[in-house]
Amino acid sequence: MTDIHEYLEELEDIPGTRVFTAARARKGYWLNQFCMSLMKEENREAFRKDEAAYLEKFPMTAEQNQAVLDRDYNRALDLGGNIYFLAKLFSCDGKSFVQAVSTMTGVSVEEYQAMMLAGGRSPEGLRSKKGGY
Amino acid sequence: MAKLTAGIATSHVPAIGAAMDLGKTEEDYWKPVFEGYKWTREWQKEQAPDVVILVFNDHASAFDMNIIPTFAIGCAEEFQPADEGWGPRPVPKVEGHPDLAWHIAQSCILDEIDMTIINQMDVDHGLTVPLSLIYDQPKAWPVKVIPLAVNVVTYPPPTGNRCWVLGEAIARAVESFPEDLNVQIWGTGGMSHQLQGPRAGLINAEFDQAFLDDLTANPERLRYLQHKEYLVESGSEGIEMVMWLIMRGALGKNVRELHRHYHVPASNTAVGHIVLEKE
Repeated sequence: MTDIHEYLEELEDIPGTRVFTAARARKGYWLNQFCMSLMKEENREAFRKDEAAYLEKFPMTAEQNQAVLDRDYNRALDLGGNIYFLAKLFSCDGKSFVQAVSTMTGVSVEEYQAMMLAGGRSPEGLRSKKGGY
Repeated sequence: MAKLTAGIATSHVPAIGAAMDLGKTEEDYWKPVFEGYKWTREWQKEQAPDVVILVFNDHASAFDMNIIPTFAIGCAEEFQPADEGWGPRPVPKVEGHPDLAWHIAQSCILDEIDMTIINQMDVDHGLTVPLSLIYDQPKAWPVKVIPLAVNVVTYPPPTGNRCWVLGEAIARAVESFPEDLNVQIWGTGGMSHQLQGPRAGLINAEFDQAFLDDLTANPERLRYLQHKEYLVESGSEGIEMVMWLIMRGALGKNVRELHRHYHVPASNTAVGHIVLEKE
């Protein structure tokens, strides 16, 4: 049988990656449920009209609210957000996956797209934090 | 009796659906993506299956954080395209096959695979993009579809072996359905891609091609591939490939590869597609 503790520890060893584990899912519950609410057009309108006021409907932390207002997706992932939930937020902004995802990588969307056209990011050197390879 | 005849695997990148919906398929960026599906579209016209069991994952559309079923089978008469934040895709509604779906659900449960039964579910790009890729843009989908949603979002997703075993149970269920039906099973998602964090944009063509090869050459390797290997080698969202193993498990020991297509990139993703015939 797989040891759940070892399993979870291994998932934390991948550089530049936040695996959506139970710990993150619990932390991000309301952040993700807020994102789900944006699947309805009337909610998207209300959110666009006054983002901060709309966020008050959900018992999210101040940090989570700020990450949403800043569209800081790496921070949102750290605070328990999941990319498929956060997709409702950037879709509401009219942004594509490429546009939103590139903001997490520290390069411009043009540079990111050029990287993808050239075959994407190699896993070389990005396999293990502990091992440094 | 119903007969499971073939399996198809394909990526289900949302931007592919958008490219079709917005009439961009002839653009330089998209043309090579769609080129690789031409063969399959022709082949599929001859095959004309009655039902497709379509294995996909819901991307926080039908299921939010309140309900997270590992394996959920859609038993409804029909399923509507989901509004994923920019309005529903302009594609036909998806017609189900409740008789066969319930038969599979009941059979799998007695076969010790405990399915969640879903009677109300909107289906997102995970299900509609593969239909668009294989059937283009018809007024109505020419096939009935049994959606089979797999959790690959909240960890842990099912193991590769569990997916394989479910595939085998589905095959036994189909073969015991009394109506004469031509049934296909599709596995969707993948191939390598990562949509989150500083490591986003990861692509691993070597891993992907080996995965495509081993669907026929060494499926046992894929069956026991660990989650961590998918994450490390094919990016965090590459884990979707476990769903291909439900399709592969259902086809039994020996399969023949009829067609393959691989292209980088579509949006953030390596597009992979394969057609397998049961021997």
